[in-house]
Amino acid sequence: MTTKELEQVLLQQPVSLLHRLARGRISRHFRSGKRKLVDLLIQASVENRPGLESDLAALIEEQSHRHQTAPPVETGAKPKTHPRPAASPAAPRPHKAEEHGHHEPPVSLHEWLSGIGVPQAQPFVPDAWQVDALARLAETDVVVSVPTGSGKTYVAIEATRRAMQDNRTVIYTSPLKALSNTKFTEFSRLFGPGQVGILTGDRREHAQAPLLIMTTEILRNLLYDAAGGEIDVRLDTLGLVIMDESQYLADPERGVVWEETLIFCPSQARLLLLSASIGNPQDIADWLTAIRPTPCALIRHTKRSVPLRAGYLHPNEKLTPLFRTAGIPYGQPHLLHPEAKRLFTEYEEDTGPSRSR
Amino acid sequence: MPPSIHPVDLVATLRQRNLTPAIIFLTSRRACDEAMQSFERSQVVLPKPQQEQIARVLTQVTEQFPSIAEHPLIDTVQRIGVAAHHAGHLPSWKIAVEELMRTGSLDAVFATTTLAAGVDFPARTVVVTQSSIRKARDFTDLTASEIQQLAGRAGRRGKDLVGFAVITPSPYIDLTVLTKGLTGQPEAIHSQFVISYPMVLNLLKAHPREQIQSILAKSFAQFQLNQRTAVLETKLDGLRAEMEPFGPRVCSDWITQWQVFDQARKRKKPRGPSARQESPDVAARLHFLTPGRVVGLVRGRGIILRQYRSKGQHAPMVTLLREGGSLNECPASIVTQVFDRTFDCEETSAYPWCTPHTLEQLTHHLMELPPRLPILPILTHQHEDIPLDSSIIQTLGDFACPSCPSRQACQRDFPRASRVRQEIQRHMKSIQALQTSLWHRFQERIDVLERFGYLNATAQLTADGEWARLIRIDHSLLITELIRAEAFGAIDPPLLAAVMASIAHDDDRPGSFPRGSTGLVTLLFQVRKLAESLAPHEDPPMLRADVAALTERWVADQTLTWIGLARLTTMAEGDMFRLFARTIEFLSQLKTLKHTHPSLAESADRAIDAMRRGVLEELP
Repeated sequence: MTTKELEQVLLQQPVSLLHRLARGRISRHFRSGKRKLVDLLIQASVENRPGLESDLAALIEEQSHRHQTAPPVETGAKPKTHPRPAASPAAPRPHKAEEHGHHEPPVSLHEWLSGIGVPQAQPFVPDAWQVDALARLAETDVVVSVPTGSGKTYVAIEATRRAMQDNRTVIYTSPLKALSNTKFTEFSRLFGPGQVGILTGDRREHAQAPLLIMTTEILRNLLYDAAGGEIDVRLDTLGLVIMDESQYLADPERGVVWEETLIFCPSQARLLLLSASIGNPQDIADWLTAIRPTPCALIRHTKRSVPLRAGYLHPNEKLTPLFRTAGIPYGQPHLLHPEAKRLFTEYEEDTGPSRSR
Repeated sequence: MPPSIHPVDLVATLRQRNLTPAIIFLTSRRACDEAMQSFERSQVVLPKPQQEQIARVLTQVTEQFPSIAEHPLIDTVQRIGVAAHHAGHLPSWKIAVEELMRTGSLDAVFATTTLAAGVDFPARTVVVTQSSIRKARDFTDLTASEIQQLAGRAGRRGKDLVGFAVITPSPYIDLTVLTKGLTGQPEAIHSQFVISYPMVLNLLKAHPREQIQSILAKSFAQFQLNQRTAVLETKLDGLRAEMEPFGPRVCSDWITQWQVFDQARKRKKPRGPSARQESPDVAARLHFLTPGRVVGLVRGRGIILRQYRSKGQHAPMVTLLREGGSLNECPASIVTQVFDRTFDCEETSAYPWCTPHTLEQLTHHLMELPPRLPILPILTHQHEDIPLDSSIIQTLGDFACPSCPSRQACQRDFPRASRVRQEIQRHMKSIQALQTSLWHRFQERIDVLERFGYLNATAQLTADGEWARLIRIDHSLLITELIRAEAFGAIDPPLLAAVMASIAHDDDRPGSFPRGSTGLVTLLFQVRKLAESLAPHEDPPMLRADVAALTERWVADQTLTWIGLARLTTMAEGDMFRLFARTIEFLSQLKTLKHTHPSLAESADRAIDAMRRGVLEELP
């Protein structure tokens, strides 16, 4: 068997078989995806190709044998007997097997689907973190790192409103022109059309308005021009710079623009960085504290305002929960719902031969 | 069983379970469009009131963006309540779809993952069908941050009590990636600081050279480098503490003394010709047997894919791609000649040691090679022992320090102490490298700019540097060099726009080839030559002739409509729009040169005016 053929054969096998084959040959094989696993197996087989091939043949044989005699797999979700434990992201996991799951019956589809609906209209009350962020902003720069859809825009709008009441100029930057345009429309509606200006690479409107929306590149250019001493931009009245989607700091091509902007941002202006959840927001806050005269506060939370549930939809239109718990079991990816697990294994086995890229 | 669920069934299931509106992320634009087409054949029809609502929203958006009125998808969207949203669409159409989603008039949107990062409109449910995305030709697994960005669109604040992320398998899905991403922590972000030419010029304009090191030290890049330094420094402290018990001895630097002794002793030991030592010929060649190198063999030629040592004997080995496409593992001695020719080789850590794409290219290159190739002359060094200092040899017998009180201690501690000291030195070197790397890169840029005459010897801006710093876009060096070479002497707006478009466009999606004018072809040829000559200092742009010709038509022929233009090419409307928007951005940078290059700025201004019409005018 040539290497190429061996690769083909390996690719046609279900992942579970590959893992069994990898046992003892590759350390930490359970961490690799299928493709990687095949590569590793071929790599490992350099030393003992015949051994690998005979093991492979034995496993394939065993599997086909099992297929013929396999008992019908039970279907249908188990009824719910216990209330599920509250899934808290920060919960320590010393006895994961006892605590979550394996004694606890998995959530049923019905339970998983329950609770869909529209919440009753309530008067808007800002979340604690939003209030906190705004309070901090009065004194310090602020980095906000919260999950998508938590209401970062509210903080931006309120901060803008307060700065404009003090007659200070506000600059709002976003990474994409499309986003700038959306924000321009949105803010014009809120603050009145004359109050909002937009500057992008190819658009310029109300450049003298107290609230300017621009792409980050434009702000960087303005700051360079100001440093070179040629233009006015009312940098001395600049009171607040809001940078939306600041996780772009890590963009391979454009991230440098965010750094330049933050380094040269006038010291009297407050900074409000809005970012999606990232792993190290504290680093950014520490960095800003280090390079700017005002300290920088970090507002961070990981709880979503609308709880999220994960599901698995099989190509035969069968829907099941993805995890044993209704919510997402943070930190415990192995707590798959048995039904989802079974369906997916079945899927992998069925589509196996066509899965060579 | 089908490899993945049919889009119509998917939406039907979601509707039935009350999981709409939903965003369905598909792998490609094509997949989105095909999903839409499959609906066109289906019998699904929305109830009348919902159809009317969609129509109402669309009319509203059309008031602002008239170009939507003619959009071919309007009927389908209205009939089935499903739309596609991807970068191939015009921004106005995307705005319309977003508005429809925001008002809750649509049941589902098929989108590519690019949406996740960009515009934000939420839904009750997000459907994920893939675990990897295409990044620069290759598929990479989605990161936890990306997966959470996707899933984050599920659940509208104030409109939903819960949000759902539904995974449905397709042939290229890896469930582990997705479950880990959903339950895991988002990744830490890392600085991507690069020092560009305009940055150097602008910094030097505003600050004297001496201050710049402190400005660079303020970057997030340096902050993160310092974090790594801090880790190394704690390690260093640990190592120093480990050194302490060895403390000062009678001689101040006993480790070096012992090192000399140790080496001398080894040297003096009679040493037969060791079997492991490779012949000097092979040893000298080894340095040249790098991946991608073309070599001559006893029979035929081949390309090196990797160099390694065999297990056990540690003999030098190479993996060769031979003519005919076979991969061989051979001893390095099989190489008889090293040619002065290498190809790019993207290495990987597993068989076949390079990416499949590289392998394909190399096989192709190998066939195309001319029969004669220049041979690299390789000097072979004969092993020659440097004569030992005679005083050491004399004392070797009873070295070291026979009468020294600490001799025994030294002898005992030397192996460990010298190892620790080496480690300390290595750490100190890396710390120094971390602390000065940014500054070094800055210096390199200064050197290049000085060579081209934008800076003088004292790193001050020359007259050319003064205006060149206003060009703050990608490929700035190419653009300023073109201006200095007077390539744009008295250039017509269409030509200027065309060249800028070819520099600005960085997408490699294929388009068809409208023909450019003779003037454009000649000019592009010059630009390409210049770009190649600048390649060591700046990555050359793609300089696609088709996008240049397309832009030239649009600017030159004022009667040409957007639809007419779209007929000339296979490019998607969204791509055309992005091309023009980016070109306008580049042109407006040229416009800032009105004081030094009035005719060029004037031409750029006219080109911008000419480009802004039809769809481009109506849109933000």
